[in-house]
Amino acid sequence: MSAPDGFQEEAALGKAYDARLMRRLLPYIGPYKWLVLLSLAIAPPLFAVQLAPAWIVKQGLDRVFGGGSEAAEVPGPDWLLGIFEAPAGLPPLAWLLILYAVTIVTMAALRFLNMYVMAWTGQLAMRDLRRDVFDHIQKLHLGFFDRYPVGRLVTRATNDVENLAEMFSSGIVQAVIDVLFMAVIAAALLALNPELALITFAVVPVLAVVAVIFRMKVREAFRETRVWLARINAQIQETITGMKVVQLFTRELRNLRDFEAMNAENRDAWQRSNRYEAGLFSAVEVAQNLTFAVILGYGFRIASAGTFYVFIEWMRLFFMPLRDLSAKYSVMQSSMASAERIFQLLDTEPAVQDRGDAPAVTAPRRGEVEFDGVWFAYQGEDWILRDVSFRVAPGEKVALVGHTGAGKTSIIKLLARLYEPQRGQIRIDGVDLRNMPQAEARRRVAMVLQDVFLFSGTIAENIGLGRDDLTPADLELAARSVEAHGFIERLPDGYRSELREQGSNLSAGQRQLLSFARAVAHGADVLILDEATSSIDTETEAAIQRGIHALMEGKTAIAIAHRLSTIQDVDRIYVLHKGRVVEDGHHEGLLESRGVYFRLYQLQYRAQEGGEGSARTA
Amino acid sequence: MSAASDIARLREGRSSARAAVARLGQYIRRNRRYYAGWTVITLGYVAGFLAVPILLGRTIEATEAGADAREVTRMALLFAAVGVVAGTLRFFSRVLVFNAAREIEYELRNDLFAHLQRLPQSFYFRWRTGDLMSRCVNDLNSVRLLLGPGLLSVVQTPILYVGALAVMFSMDWQLALLVLIPYPLFILIARSFGKGMHRWSIEVQEGLGDLSNQLQEAISGIAVVKSYGMENVTARRFARANEALLHRHLRLTRVMGAMPSITGLLPSLGMLIVLGMAGYKIPAGEMTKGEFFTFAMLIVQLTFPTFIMGWVFALVQRGGAAMQRIDEVLATEPSIADRDDMVELDELRGEIEFRDLTFAYPGAEREPALRGVSLRVPAGSTLGIVGPVGSGKTTLASVIPRLYEVPDGQVFIDGIDVNRISLQNLRAGIAMVPQDAFLFSTSLAENVAFGLPEVDSARVAQAVERAQLTQDLAELPHGLATVVGERGVMLSGGQRQRAALARALALSPSILILDDTLSSVDAATEEAIQRALAEVFGGRTVVVISHRISSVRDCDQVAVLEDGEISELGSPKELLLRGGFYARLARQQALEEELEESVA
Repeated sequence: MSAPDGFQEEAALGKAYDARLMRRLLPYIGPYKWLVLLSLAIAPPLFAVQLAPAWIVKQGLDRVFGGGSEAAEVPGPDWLLGIFEAPAGLPPLAWLLILYAVTIVTMAALRFLNMYVMAWTGQLAMRDLRRDVFDHIQKLHLGFFDRYPVGRLVTRATNDVENLAEMFSSGIVQAVIDVLFMAVIAAALLALNPELALITFAVVPVLAVVAVIFRMKVREAFRETRVWLARINAQIQETITGMKVVQLFTRELRNLRDFEAMNAENRDAWQRSNRYEAGLFSAVEVAQNLTFAVILGYGFRIASAGTFYVFIEWMRLFFMPLRDLSAKYSVMQSSMASAERIFQLLDTEPAVQDRGDAPAVTAPRRGEVEFDGVWFAYQGEDWILRDVSFRVAPGEKVALVGHTGAGKTSIIKLLARLYEPQRGQIRIDGVDLRNMPQAEARRRVAMVLQDVFLFSGTIAENIGLGRDDLTPADLELAARSVEAHGFIERLPDGYRSELREQGSNLSAGQRQLLSFARAVAHGADVLILDEATSSIDTETEAAIQRGIHALMEGKTAIAIAHRLSTIQDVDRIYVLHKGRVVEDGHHEGLLESRGVYFRLYQLQYRAQEGGEGSARTA
Repeated sequence: MSAASDIARLREGRSSARAAVARLGQYIRRNRRYYAGWTVITLGYVAGFLAVPILLGRTIEATEAGADAREVTRMALLFAAVGVVAGTLRFFSRVLVFNAAREIEYELRNDLFAHLQRLPQSFYFRWRTGDLMSRCVNDLNSVRLLLGPGLLSVVQTPILYVGALAVMFSMDWQLALLVLIPYPLFILIARSFGKGMHRWSIEVQEGLGDLSNQLQEAISGIAVVKSYGMENVTARRFARANEALLHRHLRLTRVMGAMPSITGLLPSLGMLIVLGMAGYKIPAGEMTKGEFFTFAMLIVQLTFPTFIMGWVFALVQRGGAAMQRIDEVLATEPSIADRDDMVELDELRGEIEFRDLTFAYPGAEREPALRGVSLRVPAGSTLGIVGPVGSGKTTLASVIPRLYEVPDGQVFIDGIDVNRISLQNLRAGIAMVPQDAFLFSTSLAENVAFGLPEVDSARVAQAVERAQLTQDLAELPHGLATVVGERGVMLSGGQRQRAALARALALSPSILILDDTLSSVDAATEEAIQRALAEVFGGRTVVVISHRISSVRDCDQVAVLEDGEISELGSPKELLLRGGFYARLARQQALEEELEESVA
């Protein structure tokens, strides 16, 4: 029961740095570049206060405490060296202590500032990115969601974005600052004692080789963990959603076994990567200690105790970023993988898009619907609709009938522009649907879909669906017209009753009544009903039929009818068979012609309701 | 704390911090082999950690005293050797503790998954999927961080401190005491920041959960969102959650960032004291430069572990809160579980009896969904259930396989209280097709074989045939191998219902329950299905919920539910004569048929 691999997004690249992705992330930083500049501006004083403590100790060891070898004159600008000279009247030791105290407090403040500014930038950028991901998801056409599990989309906008935030707060800018800092340390040590400095840095190339090996090793392990984690989470998600079925079919044990297997693979990959990370960590530590040994074994001939101290302290600062490299590398790598997945999602072109160049729609709202040679397939050449043409005049009511799979539902989805046809045109009020902005199309066409989806929120919100222009009175009117008012009023808080997830506190019929109320409240000229009455009991259905009758008054209506009464109500029936319109006309006329409709009628409408009739046929 | 009160709390599904820690302790104990090795290695590492400053100081001392090159080289080599050993030990220390964290993450995740599978439907009414997901993903990750870098520092840093202090005291106890002066501040700092950190890390987690929920809802309802053009509404909702999350993140960052900056000050203050004292002691000859080096180096080496204590503190806080949230799930006792007084059945015969069943969904003062329902379905007979929307039909069917908790003495299978039949036993004997026809995102074949020990192609083909799905296979891109997409969205409503039906028909249950299963299937197909069912299930108990008279007309008895009560019960013929709901329904549907005939 593993998640499908329909999308390769899981196996995102294992790069720690990808210039292409970085370029795409840049625009998110753009609006906040002043914050980036601020953190760069903080860097030089931060460097200074980090280097200063060792230097102050050196002053003490070599000049103030006395008793040892005097330091050789140190090269440097006078103003800089002058800072360490005690002002007149103050003992040198007191001055050093004052300097030290000021330095450490400043360091604490600057470190906080540095960290906060970077985190702030990251969080602002991530908020924007989350917004873009959400907006993009909403623009994608419906077919996309058939293949992309909800769980993964949620991961994109939450965990993946959180990963990126980490890169911003401890990754890219920090890496630049670290490298700069290492360069500053190297320069300062060279200036202080070139000979000792050169020997000290001898170990760095070795370390570089180790880091490269580490990088290659850890990449593979990381990539694996990503794939497994995505599958694990998809499985948890799906199992939770389908828990009733899991339990009814007592699949718990087998599910758990499958799950444990995936989970173990994930753990093993992580444990592999732990080894590489720890390897790098301890390599840096060994290198650092060896450097100290070199400084000790070689340096005593050419340096004072104070210089030793400075060397050891600054080298420690020099190695610090290297030691964190493994942590940073993991952050960068998982961020890049997340960025890759996020941009892959953002790069998915919405198959249904508003045309930028389309002229504004000026056609008056009449409520006319036209299919003109429409061909449509969900996939490849598996045509669901073949050359379908028909015209529904303003105010006309038509029914689409056909056997299961004849293409009725697809026509509805095309009309809602949830998909687009491969060939032919669909016109609303004479305008090609593709040239009509989606918002405009939706103002003209209201839908009652087969699956009733309710949002968390109140009953009223679920009828109004966020339309601010609808007053409570409008909503009630809509509810009354479809006879939903009765059950709503019986709820504890009436229209203000909160719906649970997917309206689980309502029955299927009540949910359907609500969806009718929605369509009524929406007030479009074209009303589309998709098997709207299928799971309603006869009594409720009768009530709804009355409501819908009132609603359809003066409107264009297209219904996928399962009920005879609906069929008899409509002005015209289109009979679909295997994706084609094979007949059209009135109920009686169609019956008389004894074609497909006649057979359908025998099969579907007659047998559906009537007991004895079907028994005879059987 | 008494065990009884502990259990009482667990039952309520609320978790105290102590219960969460206790649970985590169990996992740690289970993996003690990792931790035993780790402790030994840590001690070795600490020895190396302390040797480095001591050797440094000695070398400086020797240099100052004018030692010769050979002496210094010898010391440098010793230093190098210690350095290599310490660095190597560090490798094992990290591998062990991080691997243990992954091991526990693995165990916890398995346990969470297994536990979720044990929790009943009433649990899933109360908990949102997004919330549960966030606990399984984000909170688990936080716990892992607590066990990895968190535990590493929490255990290692105090040992480092103890060792360093021991060395300092042995060298100069007065100075050592002075160095200690700033540290009590740490407790103050930890306390004042701890609260904020705890609060805001929980708020961030909840913010993430909220965001997931918004997203999940918008995606699940995407068809409605699009067809009603309500993208702006959902975007506004999302923006609110997004903005709240940003705000919470920043608050947390402020607290989390301030703490290490301030704790980092503590060793620096110690260093300030050492520096000042050295200013007096070295000129006075009471301290050598080498000793100063050792002191200073010890303090400097402690700076980083202390500096990250703030961050570690946050990890621990967040991890603790996360463990509590996980514990909340794990501590929820499955209210539907096997009991001690179970009766072992070989196979169900299929008799169902409700005795004065009254059932209310959990929740404050909810009206009972079923009231005083008494009904007996003899083994091998068929029961039809009809009634208006929301009258309790689905609830009645759902208590048979114990999807909901029923009181003792009200529902019986083969004369035995359902609560005394093991779930495995009970559910293996019942096949139910729920109303919503949920399919998994696997192939159609795997979905149909869902209840079978393995994908048995002959049985799958048979089930597909009986559910009248065979003709549809040709339309699907890969036939039975077609991946049906999340919730089966590749299929039409009718196809989905028939696939869900096939899933049940692949089994050979003693009781088959169809909950309005064929509402989206056209009548001709339904009739064919009914014929197949009659063939296969003749002699077995079948419960059919439907809105169509044609679906229940041939049942042995029909129950009419209205407002949770049985208003009519009897054979379809009797009910027709009684003139109640059933007769009305039949008349209405017959009238429609007459209408049809007259038109024809």
